[in-house]
Amino acid sequence: MTREYVYQQMNRIFRNVFDDESIELHDETNAEDIEDWDSLEQINLIVAIENEFEMMFDMAEVAELANVGEMVDLILKKDSNE
Amino acid sequence: MNNYRFEDLYEGLSVSFEETVTEEKMDAFRQISGDVNPLHMQKEFAQSQGYKDKVVYGMLTSSLLSRLVGVHLPGKYCLLQGMELKYLNPVYAGDTLTVKGTVYELHPSVKMAVIKALITNQDGVKVVRGKINVGFLRYEDE
Repeated sequence: MTREYVYQQMNRIFRNVFDDESIELHDETNAEDIEDWDSLEQINLIVAIENEFEMMFDMAEVAELANVGEMVDLILKKDSNE
Repeated sequence: MNNYRFEDLYEGLSVSFEETVTEEKMDAFRQISGDVNPLHMQKEFAQSQGYKDKVVYGMLTSSLLSRLVGVHLPGKYCLLQGMELKYLNPVYAGDTLTVKGTVYELHPSVKMAVIKALITNQDGVKVVRGKINVGFLRYEDE
């Protein structure tokens, strides 16, 4: 799985969750950059990401994430450990 | 009332209950919602549209899903977060509905469960199906 592929899927997931086709994710993108990104949408994002990449995170991993780049890093790390 | 905690749930766990829809409940829902569409109020209009009688409000039927998650699965600690539903067939006053919920997905990272919901009538015909996202309130002993 490449970083480009993960970003492609993540862009699709974010656009779908927030119903906003203009979203373009970057490593630094965080909840302050997307108006509707609140705690409920955070749950929806994590669930959609877990389903898309067929992996499960634990609470601590999710709590530590500061931005999209760290989420992508986590996905790639989990994928390489499988 | 059940009081399942997230940790108690497992995929495939299911609960169900029955409820009969009545004219009184139709009236109450009309008052609550303000939906005076003739499909739900006039037998002749409903029949002219191909239905055998006034059609029960879809959201009256799906209001039973509030009870499903709030009382039965998971029950007391439920925090309803969202649902996606399909209304498959009409419901009529007098129908006895069976409401069934089954744990479909568990996401420990965000303590969220997806419940598959299915409502059938007394003839076994599916009238509503969907998925419900539920989170969990704080447990009292935490």
